[in-house]
Amino acid sequence: MTDALTREASIDLLDLAGLEELEALALIGLSKNAGKTTILNHIITAWQESGQTRPLALTSIGRDGEAEDIVSGRAKPRIYIPTGTLIASAEGALQRSDALLEILELTNVRTAFGEVILCRALSDGYVELAGPSVSEEIEVITRLIRKHEPEILFIIDGALSRRSQASSGMVQQIILAVCVGTSLLPDILAEKTAHAVDLLQTPLVDEPKLQALSAAIAENPQARGILLSEGSEHTHCKAVQLPSLVGFGQEISKEIERGTFLLFLGGAVTDHVVTELLKEPEFANLTLVVEDGTRLFLKPETMRRLKHRHIQLGTLNALEVRMICLNPTHPNGQILESKPLLDALRQKITSIPVVDLGPANR
Amino acid sequence: MQSSVMITSELLQQVGLPAVLEATHCRTPQGSRLKNAARVYGVHNRRELEQELEAVGNLTTLIRQKHPQLVETTTQLARLRELRGTFSRLEHGTVLDDTEFFELKGALAIFSRLTKVSAIIEAAGVSFKDTSKAAMMLDPAGKKNPAFHIYSDYSPTLDDIRARKRVLEKQISKSKGAERKTLLTRRAMVIAEEDQEEDRIRRELGSKLAESLPQMQHNAEACGLLDFRLAKAELAVRWNGCRPALVSETQPAILTNITHPLIASHLEKQGQEFTPISIEIRRGSTVLSGANMGGKSVALKTVFLGLLMAQLGYFPVAESLQTPIYDFFAFETSQDGDLHRGLSSFGLEAVKIRDHYRRSKTRNGLIIMDEPCRGTNPGEATAIVNALSKSYSISDSSFLIATHYPISPSEGIRFYQIRGIRPETLAQQLPPLPEEPTVAEADKSKPSGGLSALAQPDLKQDLIRVRRIQKMMDYRLEEIDGPHAVPSGAIKIAELLGVDDELVREMKTAWQEEQWQN
Repeated sequence: MTDALTREASIDLLDLAGLEELEALALIGLSKNAGKTTILNHIITAWQESGQTRPLALTSIGRDGEAEDIVSGRAKPRIYIPTGTLIASAEGALQRSDALLEILELTNVRTAFGEVILCRALSDGYVELAGPSVSEEIEVITRLIRKHEPEILFIIDGALSRRSQASSGMVQQIILAVCVGTSLLPDILAEKTAHAVDLLQTPLVDEPKLQALSAAIAENPQARGILLSEGSEHTHCKAVQLPSLVGFGQEISKEIERGTFLLFLGGAVTDHVVTELLKEPEFANLTLVVEDGTRLFLKPETMRRLKHRHIQLGTLNALEVRMICLNPTHPNGQILESKPLLDALRQKITSIPVVDLGPANR
Repeated sequence: MQSSVMITSELLQQVGLPAVLEATHCRTPQGSRLKNAARVYGVHNRRELEQELEAVGNLTTLIRQKHPQLVETTTQLARLRELRGTFSRLEHGTVLDDTEFFELKGALAIFSRLTKVSAIIEAAGVSFKDTSKAAMMLDPAGKKNPAFHIYSDYSPTLDDIRARKRVLEKQISKSKGAERKTLLTRRAMVIAEEDQEEDRIRRELGSKLAESLPQMQHNAEACGLLDFRLAKAELAVRWNGCRPALVSETQPAILTNITHPLIASHLEKQGQEFTPISIEIRRGSTVLSGANMGGKSVALKTVFLGLLMAQLGYFPVAESLQTPIYDFFAFETSQDGDLHRGLSSFGLEAVKIRDHYRRSKTRNGLIIMDEPCRGTNPGEATAIVNALSKSYSISDSSFLIATHYPISPSEGIRFYQIRGIRPETLAQQLPPLPEEPTVAEADKSKPSGGLSALAQPDLKQDLIRVRRIQKMMDYRLEEIDGPHAVPSGAIKIAELLGVDDELVREMKTAWQEEQWQN
């Protein structure tokens, strides 16, 4: 990491990620301690320094209960915000904040840390974010925030997935945090990151399928799996109710028939789940759809096996990675030189800006 | 003292009370609590019940008029949160947190807005106490802004601390590196001072607010009552309910053209109509007889639900309804025994008969029994239902029984019957049913053996037959001067349900012989 590089990235942050045009942004970490809080603090500084008129609104989303998640879920970052920022955070987390906060609304959204409360900062200061744990509740929070302040940049620490808005066609913008904890070797880090970006940016399933699937999800909102099959006259829909995907691959695969052209899975789709599905010979020539790219936890080898079976991947909500931020500090404390890492990443990923923002001035 | 209701939860479900409560849409936690408590007003609360019914009646008028203040009322009620926890903390001197102050501020604003919807609160018979003093405490600058924080206006010390903090924060925003760290440390020291002063203010604010606690609690309860009464009125308008007239304990309940709202809506979905029924229930015994499938059970449930709703302060779905106030309500029907207590179905019935009878000696109840002693031998069953009818005929309670067994006329026993199959419909030529597979064919199409063959009746044809019978029935009740020749019509029903001709012929012959012998 060099000073020049840091400064350059910091100044260009808003431009590079195109933040000024956005209404909402999600921060996603490729691993735990990937540096999402640092990115958030950088954005806050850049936003303040460039004299933006819109205030920022911040919340975080947890994803408890899923073993193979790229988001730590329970992280409660401490962030220094300027006066005027809106935050939606649980009561327990607010008690550990030191900014002077004006309570605007009680949201009725409950978390393990208490009810999520909507506040406006009347002074600068540290805040802790612990937002809703269910992604659907983000919508409630968004609506309430926009009621109080329609013109904002809403930043969500964590991915959001909106099953209930399956047909909205909205593209969620994200910044991906990558840390050397994923790999210390530049080439491997670059390869893993590129693969993760591919998964995250898995495209929206095509329009006719999206419509049929949205209708099926609306009818079976609790279903873990939905299969659409070509019938003699019209499309058949089969809904499978399961407690989770992990360990229940066979329950789904036995429902696949010759005419099945689409399989939707709600939840984390892992190598293990796919391996179970691949045991079924009829699991071929179809589109495997997930809520969004953050739900895919598949190794390149698994992807190859899917391709071999002519299985395409699709999502209900598309994600666009606006920027990749490298954190050269290993979780064990070791700091690596960032240039070789950045070079390797930039060589492998050419369409998305890759930067090291350096430590935030907090 | 409240009146009690003796009924199993399963039967209560069948009668439809839980569905009535569910259809009552309260907007506040306070109102929902009142609703779920399902208070049955007793004789000693006659005046309160009158007030309740009066309020619900007044509100139905305003709802029908689409009174302009209704929108504001419902909007404000929908915003009210549960306040019991906060009130209790305030009462016990626990320091409230900012969320609780915010909650109270919101509630106080709602109280203030509701005092302005004078037409509604007057109609609902609720009153609000002045809580403006408490409201001012939570809005020291008088900004009328719903948001809340510990305002600097509360103390010059806090104002001073925050001014110092602001200066530091300005410096922090322009500083970097070591200087910034030093400034942040200094800020942390100021924040410690701020926290201490804020806590002192919270404590002081809490104890000052506690002075207004009785008024705030009164207003929260007023909101609950307003909400519950409004929800009852909305239901009455939706279901076209009538205001029940309360009469003295010696007078009869008179129900004119009463409907069971839930059964009616179920029928409506099938394109059918509920036939309203009319009945007078005096002290003593009322015996209801009538054809099988004639709607005796539905009639009993309709009566029970209607009278119970009236005593819960709801408007029953009737053209008119007058009722005394009963000390207790009991509804029994033959059911499976209670194995845990070693009681057979009749054993269980005997226990209920014993309990209700004892209770009726000292209290004035409405006791409804749907075909008791169904599972015991006809001779003794006839003796038991006769004894029940006769014993209750001199009681202060009202006993309504549906039975097929013949009851001897006696003073204090009134007889009603369901009109049953209209004679003119019997002469009508019914169109043939769709082809039915023969038993042999049907067996072939079903999985062989096992219970599955028994468990698959030809539902479609039976449904058509049932609909036909329903169309032939006159479900109205009529008072008769004594028990008529047991008009069960069971054989006719069996015939209409497609029992084979030769079997029906045997039934008819056996029935004629039976009558001959008697």
